[in-house]
Amino acid sequence: MTRPAAPLMPTLRQILARVHTRLILFAVLMAGVTLIAAGVLIMRDYAERNLALVARTASYTIEPALLFDDMAAAQDGIAMVANGQGVRLVEVRDNQGRLMTRWIRPDAGAMARLEATAGKLLWPSPVTEPVRHGRDVIARLTVHGDAGAIGRYLLSGVVIALACLGLTVIATQILARRLQKDVTGPLAQIADVAHAVRVERRFDMRVPSADIAEVDQLARDFNALLDELQQWHAGLLSENRQLEHQATRDPLTGLGNRAMFERQLAASVEAAEQTGQGFAIIYADVNRFKQVNDGHGHDAGDVMLIVIAARLRAALRTGDLAFRLGGDEFALILASDTTREVVEALAARIDTSMEQPIMLPSGQSIQSSLSLGWALYPQDSADPRDLLRHADAAMYAAKGRRHATTD
Amino acid sequence: MAAPVFQPAMMPLGSGPDRMAAGAARMTDAILEFTRWPVEKPLVHLCVVGVADHAGQLDEISLSNGARVQVSRLPDPGAATQCDALYIGRMAALDNRRLLTAARGAAVVTIAEADADCRSGAMFCLLFTPQALNFQLNIDAVSRSSVRIDPRVLRLSKGGY
Repeated sequence: MTRPAAPLMPTLRQILARVHTRLILFAVLMAGVTLIAAGVLIMRDYAERNLALVARTASYTIEPALLFDDMAAAQDGIAMVANGQGVRLVEVRDNQGRLMTRWIRPDAGAMARLEATAGKLLWPSPVTEPVRHGRDVIARLTVHGDAGAIGRYLLSGVVIALACLGLTVIATQILARRLQKDVTGPLAQIADVAHAVRVERRFDMRVPSADIAEVDQLARDFNALLDELQQWHAGLLSENRQLEHQATRDPLTGLGNRAMFERQLAASVEAAEQTGQGFAIIYADVNRFKQVNDGHGHDAGDVMLIVIAARLRAALRTGDLAFRLGGDEFALILASDTTREVVEALAARIDTSMEQPIMLPSGQSIQSSLSLGWALYPQDSADPRDLLRHADAAMYAAKGRRHATTD
Repeated sequence: MAAPVFQPAMMPLGSGPDRMAAGAARMTDAILEFTRWPVEKPLVHLCVVGVADHAGQLDEISLSNGARVQVSRLPDPGAATQCDALYIGRMAALDNRRLLTAARGAAVVTIAEADADCRSGAMFCLLFTPQALNFQLNIDAVSRSSVRIDPRVLRLSKGGY
């Protein structure tokens, strides 16, 4: 099983990066726009004053040239004053409005035209300055500015703002990545542990403590939850074992019951098929058990069964198993690698162990004996049912022989 | 910024028979406009000495600062002691030298009509061409004189300063 994939869902890092980017974009734009606008306003003010200064200087410079009626000198004077001062056009008109001379900035290019257009936007009306001689106004001079300086300022402002934005985006990514490492790292550990617990039943796993208070709280709560889950799981397991024990054990003798016998038989058959080695079963029936039960009471019968079970267990080798099938019936499964001789020797040993009298709670002692019948797998039968019938038949044959001898 | 190369003042001459005289009057007017005497003159004495060919319209000069211009023609150069400005026509070299030596250091602005080389020692020398009137400035004379010429005018003279 894998965790459900959700490709459309944004990761925490993406969300953080997006939020940071928006925040910083907003801040940079705000700062940039404000600075540029304020800068443009201030520069416009300075440029306007500069135009007025150029106009005054030019009018002072060209005053004698106008009086001497020398327009070439006037134009030279204007050029000297206005060139390189953010001036696009200077016109001098006499008092009747006739054009006396005109100076246009010489560098005419695409940039200059753009600056001229921007200049028209920034200064819709040119600066006008009278040319005075003494008290008389002898001409009027108009100065049209261009937006070269402001344009360059705007351009550099935009470039710097863009560069800042680029840097900021990179910084946000780094910041988001670090934040992700700090925040989502511990969260991912919690998720990993949860996954391991769910898939692999690793109830012993715990989340390491985190550096963030909320995440650490979550981790501790999660660990506490895991503690409870582990205890609950352990309780469930032991209860299961208990139930299993109850379902497969005979409460009186502590031996396996019929259900366990059948399960073990199937397992032995399977093991024998795999290893190629045989095994044997022995059926045992307590002789005259009904008489003991009837004559001495059920307690005596129970004691008898308990003692017999203990003697059976004692007679067995390691690997051999004993079961109480019900009533006075027992069954043994002898571990693999058994021959008929070994089984017969074991049966004889069991018979011998039963010869000692059993002490009853009432103080009396009684003699007990078992009727044994066995069958070997696969010599007697390779089929479990058939094998059991074989052993059963052998046991009854033994019982019949015993009756014949004793009666 | 490259130093601007000034063309010499080229005052275009109009048409008509007396255009030279009109040009000379306008040029003289402009020179007087930019001349400052040590003491402000409400009445400027403009004296014409020697044989002046284009002095016919000097009487029409009026200054923008309100000062009046009184034109007097002096046959004798020695009588020029009361003049604030001298318009000098053709005259004997000796008389010319004497006149200008007397004017040197005094509060007199001197304008030579017939001194194309501007060697006589006059402060301003008029240069007549068929289409335009020009002037040359004797910077040495200007600097020795006690009248002040607006420095902006210096740049308009032939050769420039």
